[in-house]
Amino acid sequence: MKADLDYFLEELRRDFRVVGPKKKRSEHVFGDIHIVEDLDLEYVTTILPPKKLFFPPTENLFSFNSAGEAIPADIKAQRLLIFGIHSCDLNGLLLLDRVFENDYPYPRYVERRRNSVIVAMTCANLGDTCFCDSMGTGPEPKTGYDILLTDLGERFLVEVGTAEGSRLAGMMRSSEAEESDLQLKKKLLFEAKTKFKKRINTDGLAEIFEKNLDHPLWKRLADTDLACAQCVMSCPTCFCLDIRDQWSSVLGETVRCVEWDACFLLEFAEVALGGNFRKDRSARLRQFMGHNLSWGGIAQYGPVNGQHKCVGCGRCIRVCPVSIDITEVAREIRGG
Amino acid sequence: MKDPYLSSIAEIVDVKRQSYDTKTYTICFLNDERRREFRATPGQFMMISVPGLGEAPFSLSSGPEKSDSFDTTIRAVGNVTGILDRYDVGARIGVRGPYGKGWPLEEAKGRDILIVAGGIGLAPLRPVLTTIQRNRNLFGNLEVLYGARTPADEMFVDEYEEWQRIEDTTLSLTVDSVPKGVTWPHRIGVVTTLFDDMRISPEDSIVMTCGPEIMMRFAARGLLARNFRRNQIYVSLERRMKCGMGHCGHCQIGPKFVCRDGPVFNYSDLEGLPDLAL
Repeated sequence: MKADLDYFLEELRRDFRVVGPKKKRSEHVFGDIHIVEDLDLEYVTTILPPKKLFFPPTENLFSFNSAGEAIPADIKAQRLLIFGIHSCDLNGLLLLDRVFENDYPYPRYVERRRNSVIVAMTCANLGDTCFCDSMGTGPEPKTGYDILLTDLGERFLVEVGTAEGSRLAGMMRSSEAEESDLQLKKKLLFEAKTKFKKRINTDGLAEIFEKNLDHPLWKRLADTDLACAQCVMSCPTCFCLDIRDQWSSVLGETVRCVEWDACFLLEFAEVALGGNFRKDRSARLRQFMGHNLSWGGIAQYGPVNGQHKCVGCGRCIRVCPVSIDITEVAREIRGG
Repeated sequence: MKDPYLSSIAEIVDVKRQSYDTKTYTICFLNDERRREFRATPGQFMMISVPGLGEAPFSLSSGPEKSDSFDTTIRAVGNVTGILDRYDVGARIGVRGPYGKGWPLEEAKGRDILIVAGGIGLAPLRPVLTTIQRNRNLFGNLEVLYGARTPADEMFVDEYEEWQRIEDTTLSLTVDSVPKGVTWPHRIGVVTTLFDDMRISPEDSIVMTCGPEIMMRFAARGLLARNFRRNQIYVSLERRMKCGMGHCGHCQIGPKFVCRDGPVFNYSDLEGLPDLAL
């Protein structure tokens, strides 16, 4: 029963830092859930995707002692439970896993992920910019969750994906789901799928993209594009990072830190002596779009359920101050 | 879990000036085990850091002939390199690596080898020369075409004699221009002008080139015009890199990460990729 959510969250909070969608003025964010009223499962999307919980916008890697030895900064990999993540964002995390759990695992990300539990939601709250259906990443999560909840009105349908999910679901007061509940979920999904306002035809898209690197739209869009990189900052799968050293005379400390970086920024591909491999804004725009729609999927990370880097969350469309729309870009390079 | 971002502390044990702005540093890990286990293949690169200033990628300019240290040849043009330029023997730096895919030395066995280098681009090819020198019977004829902007920009000048003594080896030099009052007994012109007198033919040969991207572009096209095939040509690319491990994204060229898929690429694998001058 949904009325018991209060009790369930209280139980979860004994073992986990619980993070979920909460209201922040007119938007939502993934934030700490202390009481059930913090949680707003009616949310459409959040300002930043949950990637920030595993790969924060900025953090220290090391500090250096006077001998130049690096002292690793605390990873703070506390037990984390994400409550109410949608399928697009969950698929975003599964793709980041491929990037950061390669043969050089990025330990800060990997340890946080290993210490996390995912309670996902079947998504019926589609926004105007959503297109997960097109990208094969939603609205129903297929994998990667410990528990999957579907809102059936007064009740949740509870499905478990892992042993840990099963253990935690056992703390809920529940009864056996009936065939009619599963039918209701199917109906909800069917209705949701009719509501998408944005679509991308992904059939052969990667190859079409590669053949259209000189398409006139890159130059045209670059004329309006501000290269502000808000799309990158709000993307659940953009992983580019910068590594910088900082020195503070006040703290007497030198640190090496990691922070999010963006291919849209002028300096991103710059090398010594001012050489820049993506000096033109059109090239940077093409890099972002190409990474999301073409070469960032199977070509780069191996099969991730056959998906592209883009998971169709629609955030880049929401935040773009000049209305650049990745679904329209995909349509135009296909030629309509 | 071992943090792959963690550098090992190493000491500069020798500094040798190559030109007015470039030096070769010989570097030795302080930790015995790290020093013993260090193995790199020609063409790979290291991430070298100065705490407080940052990290940058540098090609190895020595090969397996050195067992307890390695060389890297660095031009003082940026933050990290500017400080390294002021460092002398005994200075300590952070080092991690090696990273990336190097030159195709297995594939080169039994074949003639053409090396086309420009400026500091000779540095990552130097370990190819020393490898051939030490294993002369494994490879065919060796021809090195080397171009620099001026005679003062040439690297490894005091090693040319030794390289020319390698059996079945020719070394040809050219510079873009010669300042007044400087004598220059070799060619004048870009490196591709040396193609006219080239001895190596496309049959059963392999090409390794490194230099400014625009130089490699003209070198590769000049070779194609002389009936070399795309897949005989290998290039080493420079890109901005922050991690060397496929995380930071800076070195991406379409689907390729230069740090992991390169920096040495078969020329045919780069066909049709964006943001390349090749």
